[in-house]
Parts: sequence; C-alpha cells; structure tokens
Amino acid sequence: MSGEFSPSQTLNSFSGSAEPSRLRILVAEDNKPDRMILCALLQKLGHEVFEVFDGTAAVDQFHEVDPDIVLLDAMMPELDGLSAARQIKSMAGERLVPVIFLTALTDPKELARCLEAGGDDFLIKPFNRVILDAKLNALDRMRRLHQALAEQVDQVRQKNEQMLAEQKTARRVFDNIAHTGSLDSPNIRYHASPMSVFNGDVLFAATRPGGGSLVFLGDFTGHGLPAAIGAMPVAEIFYGMVGQGFGAAAILREINAKLRRILPVGMFCCGAMLETDSRQGLVRAWNGGLPDAWLLRGSGERVAIPSRNLPLGVQNAENFSTSMVVFQVTPGDHVLLMTDGFPESANEQGELLGESGVRQVLAGLSSPSDAFDALMHRVREFTGQPEAADDLTLCCVAIPELEQARPSARKPPDAEPIGPADWQCVYEIRERTLSEFNPLPLLLHICMEVPGLRSRSGEVYTLLSELYNNALEHGVLALSSDWKSSPRGFALYYEERQRRLSDTDGHFIRFSLSHESRDPGGRLRVICEDSGAGFDFAEHSARASKTRSIPGSSYAGRGLELLRRMATHFHVHGEGNRVEIVYDWQPGREDDD
Amino acid sequence: MIDQPHLDEAALAELRDVMEDDFGVLVDTFLADSRARLRHLHQVLEQEDSDQLAKTAHSFKGSCINMGATHLSELCAQLERAGKAADLSAAARLLDGVEAEFAEVASCFEQL
Amino acid sequence: MPIAAHRVDDGQTLVIRVDGRFDFSTHQAFRDAYEQADPAIKRYVVDLSDTTYLDSSALGMLLLLRDHAGGDSARISIENCNSDVRRILSISNFEQLFRIC
Repeated sequence: MSGEFSPSQTLNSFSGSAEPSRLRILVAEDNKPDRMILCALLQKLGHEVFEVFDGTAAVDQFHEVDPDIVLLDAMMPELDGLSAARQIKSMAGERLVPVIFLTALTDPKELARCLEAGGDDFLIKPFNRVILDAKLNALDRMRRLHQALAEQVDQVRQKNEQMLAEQKTARRVFDNIAHTGSLDSPNIRYHASPMSVFNGDVLFAATRPGGGSLVFLGDFTGHGLPAAIGAMPVAEIFYGMVGQGFGAAAILREINAKLRRILPVGMFCCGAMLETDSRQGLVRAWNGGLPDAWLLRGSGERVAIPSRNLPLGVQNAENFSTSMVVFQVTPGDHVLLMTDGFPESANEQGELLGESGVRQVLAGLSSPSDAFDALMHRVREFTGQPEAADDLTLCCVAIPELEQARPSARKPPDAEPIGPADWQCVYEIRERTLSEFNPLPLLLHICMEVPGLRSRSGEVYTLLSELYNNALEHGVLALSSDWKSSPRGFALYYEERQRRLSDTDGHFIRFSLSHESRDPGGRLRVICEDSGAGFDFAEHSARASKTRSIPGSSYAGRGLELLRRMATHFHVHGEGNRVEIVYDWQPGREDDD
Repeated sequence: MIDQPHLDEAALAELRDVMEDDFGVLVDTFLADSRARLRHLHQVLEQEDSDQLAKTAHSFKGSCINMGATHLSELCAQLERAGKAADLSAAARLLDGVEAEFAEVASCFEQL
Repeated sequence: MPIAAHRVDDGQTLVIRVDGRFDFSTHQAFRDAYEQADPAIKRYVVDLSDTTYLDSSALGMLLLLRDHAGGDSARISIENCNSDVRRILSISNFEQLFRIC
C-alpha cells in the first residue's frame, strides 16, 4: 500500500541528513502494540533500542542499559511513568538523560504534570515519525550541550587542581630560594598566606653576618605567575647579598635595578626594608609604596614611617633613592610592616578598614607587643571572615635585647660551609684593560667563595681595594700623594688620575691570592705587584707614622696605613711595587680594637 | 451510526512502512491484545472497579490511535471518561459500543 | 644621586648624605656639596646611613671638609656608619678629628 503520498521517504531523507547520532534509547511501554510500533520507528531512525514493560523494569535496567534518552509511558501498572522519571533523573545524577513521556493524554493539566515530574518532553499518540525524530534530535542536542558544559566545568576544575598542584611545586622551588631565613626568630611575628607569593606578597628576613638583621616586605603589582616570577630574583638578591654582608641600601639598589630590568613597564614592587642594628640601638627603615610602617615605642609613642620613595623597579639607578629613616630604638620597641591588603580589607558593606582603622588599633594598644594580635583580630572582626587575611601580609619585628642580637644559629639551606678553602690564583690585568676594568668585584667574589669569609667581606674589600688603588695610582699611573696636600691638589690628583688612565701601555697589575684553611677561619695571602717604578717606602713609612700620631695632617697616605693595621702581616718588597699582606681571620665578627 | 471509516488508510500506510515484514505480527498482536482488554473491561465492570475501567480504557485508546482505529479510540475515550466519572451504567452501554466497533475493526484488519 | 645635601636647624647645619660607595669617584660631588653651600653653615653632619663602603681616599675627602669647615674648630659629626665603615674610621684614628656617632 505504498501510495503516491510517501511521507516515509521524505522523513527518511530528513532524518538521514540531520543528526546522524545513534542513540541508546530505553523504552518502557506496557502496551504491546504501541511498544512494537515505537521500537520499529526508533530502529528505522537508526537508534539502538532497549524495551521494557513497565516503570519498575525501566528503573532496574537504567544502569545496565546506560541510555542516552528514555521514553516512558506515562500510565503504566506497577510503577507509573511519573515516579519512574523521578527515580531515573536522580540515578542519572549530574548527567542529563532526557525523558520523553509517551501518552494518549490530551488534558493539558495532565501533560503539565508530566513535565513537572522531570520529563523533558512528551510524545502524544499516535506516534509520528517526524515529530519523534525532531524531538529526539532536539533533546540530543540539549543532552550533548549539557555534556559539553559538564566536561568544560570538569576541565576547569581539573585545570584549577593542576594549577594548585603547580603552584605548590613552584612554592617549594621558591621556598628553596626564599627559605624562611630568620623569619622564625623569636622577635619576629608575621602573617602571610602560605601561597602569598602568588598574591604578589613576599616577606624575607635574615641575620647579617656582623649582627643585626634585615627584613624585607614586598608587594608586587598583579598576582599569579607574573608576581611569583618577580619574587624569585628579589629573594635571591636579598638572601645572597645579606649573606655577603651587604646592607639595606645596597640590597634595595640591586633589587630596584634588577626589577627595572626584568619587569614589564607597569609592573613593579612596593616594598619596605627594615635594618636593625641592635649593637648601636638603631633601626633604619625604607618605605617605597607600602602603607605606613610603624615604630611602636615601649613608651607609647607611635611613629608612622610613610612611603617616601617610589616602588622598586620604577626608577632608573641614578634617580633611585635609598635614603632611609633612622631611629634610635630600645629593646621592647616594635616595628610593623604591612601590605595594602591590610588597610584595604573590606567589610560586608564594602567599606575599607583604611589606614585610619590601623591607627585606631595602634592607639588602643596597652603594649606594642600586643600590636600583631590586635591588628589580626581587628581585620578578622572587621571583615567578618576568618580567611579574609589571605590577601595580606603583616610583619611585626620586636627590637631584641642585646643578647638576642647574636647571629642566628639557623642557616639558610644553601649556606652550608661548602666551597674552596685551600687554593691559590694569579690574576693579572694589562694594557688598556687597566683603564677600562675594575677587577675588585671579581677578586672579592673569588675570596667570598671561601666558606665563612663572607662575614669579613668589608675588610677583605678594603684590603683588596687599597692594594689595588695603591698599585694603580702610585705604581702604574705614578701619581704622587704629595699633590693631595691641598684641596685644589686633591682635585687635580683625581683629574690627573683620569687623564693618565688613558695611557696604560706596557703596564700591568698582578694579584697573587692564596688561601689556606685554619681551624677556625683561615689565612688569606695577597701579593699585589705592579709595573710602576715603585716609591720610596722608607720615606713613606716615616710619613705614615707621623700621620698616625697626627691624623689630620695630610689628606693622603692612609691607604697603606689601613693595610698595615688590618692585615696580620704587611710587607713592601723591592722598589715598593710589590706589596704583600697576610690576613688571618676567624668566622663571626668581634671588634678587635 | 458510522460516519467515518473504521481504519485510517494513511495511518495504515505509515504503519506498513514502519513495520515492514512485521506488519502482520503487529496486527495479530493488536487483535489479541484488544480481545484481552475487552475481557478485562467486562471483568472490572462486573467488579464495579471504575478506576481500573478508566485505566484499561485509556490504554486501549492509546493502541487504537496508533493502529489507525480512530473511531474505536474515540469510543474508548468516552468509556475512559465514564470510568473516571464512576458512571457504571453509561460504561456498560459504552463497552457494548466498543465491542461492536472492535468487531468491525477486526474484520477490516482480517481482510487486509 | 650618590651625594645629597640639605640644611636643617634654621639653615645652620648642612647634612651631607653619601649613598653607596664613598670613594674617589664621589670626590667632586662631595666637595661641591659643601663648597657651594651657604656661608651661614656652622655645623656639618656627614650621614653615612646608606654608605656601604669607604676607602682611604674618602678619608682624605673628610679631612678636606674638616679644613674647609675651620680645621680644629670645625664642628662635624659623622653619623650612622655601618661597622665596616666605622672600623676604617677608627683605624685611622678619626675619632680624634670628628664626632663619630
């Protein structure tokens, strides 16, 4: 009976060209002829069909069949379609398994109930292939969209987990560079999120080789990876330079230069540096872009240390200012450093705690030692969230008693005494290199590799520098100290130095360095020879001893005297163009005079 | 009494197309299923179970629609309504009508 | 800006700050700092807070300042030195010539 009107062919071509996806379809229909027709229709549309007779069977088979779409007769004995739909939806969990109700119902209220029960659509008898196909396709699109979204959500979740795992790894790498230093000293209290480096906050503290300590708090613009990347060199510079005995100003200068080089324009690091020198009872502070730091005196006085400088990484080296505010302090005084996460903490109404909020807390303190707890309490109370403190860093440094100012026993992991202790080397610079190159940093670097000698970097530098300047100025350049007897001569001397540096042909300066370890410490021997004509050492000696007794008598002649006083042994050989010093040192530092 | 044909030709054509070789099986299934339903309808009517009466009539109606037995499905719908209204005397009258129309439908199918 | 100078105490005290290494390379700037200052200056403070290192030529420059400021009657204090700088000053007996604190 295939008449002229042949909807099936039209429908076939339609369904064939539309969605090719082959669906797994679970059909529950108690009415046998209807079930036969429906299953035949679905198979014709290219789907895989699983048939059951009632709602209970549909629920039982659901997990095994794992269908993409379920067709349920609305009215079935045992478990009716509506109850079955509810159970199937709950079994599907987060997956979207569309349910289509099969019904001979025509009452709109009844149809509405089907949808309320969790049905996604209904199919009214008689079954029509076009409508069935269109509905399946629409629901399949919805199902796949939902699946794609769920996968995306899943991907985002996975990415996020991966990022957190990566951050933890990165954090471990960072911790190896920016170890806790002396942050766990009894006189330092701080709050920093464990992952604070990814908020752009860094906090470092270290004990200086000669006593005293340095604390640096930084807050990079931005957060995430860019901020963390900037933090790495800062940590390395800070701990590296502190270890070599550099002070706050030099470290700030180096950090600034480095950040200016590596950070893109618009990214920089607000920071504050605190240098405590408990032997002299001094604190030096530098604030570039952070909220006011505070000196809290035991007497009750509160002194703000406002930002007076540009943040790090903004200014070029020439204009960068490292001037520090200096305070006389006594044990029991405290210094507070904080990032702007602190005053910028907001409450539920969006109001900020503000610097005035900080001042209020500080004004209400009975003792500076309460400041840390009081501020942390206040920010949690203000925001109403215990985790509000995730985005801020607060550090409180108590000025310790003199006894506590000894170098911390805790060493950074890489400060184990490994390095060459017994060695010798000769380093000679010649010809034009003499006028173009300063060998002192290199020579100092070689010496500083000796374990423990870093604590004496200042003296070693003085020794090398005086030897070198003596060889260069009086040897190679044949400048006479006599010129320095008048202010005008002093200037001329250095003008002439500059002029003569342009012609160093045929000249050399040769350093012969050797080091041998002794327990404790070691012996550094330096011989500095030059190609100059030498000088009358006896005459110099006589003048030097005169200089010693009358210190202000000449503007010159102190270099060799410094060498003589600092070195264990000091000899001038030959024509005066070969100077030898022996420097015996012990680790740690005690003032020998 | 009968203004419309017992079977809808277009629906039948569609069914043949869908069922292909199974069309005969479908017809046999429908006829057997319907006879069982009719027996069940008589039984629940005797038991005066109007709820079961409505449900069975509803289900019967569904397969009649699908089989193209349009008039029979309309009679089932009326029977379903009588069941829902617990109007058993109307139901008894309507069931006779359903029985008669089914005999016509069955004979049409058997002649195919 | 390795050398910076400013006046305090009604302009009678000149504070000269030296940033970084105090050596021969700063001699011109250091000299300019006091030679170009107001004649009303009576006292000098050399602030070495930010001085990392000082060599023998810097000692000469401090003596030049001392003579400029009146020699034995000069009122100069050298302040906030780090321990390395302090040691060099004391080896050279500069405590006898300057107030070092």
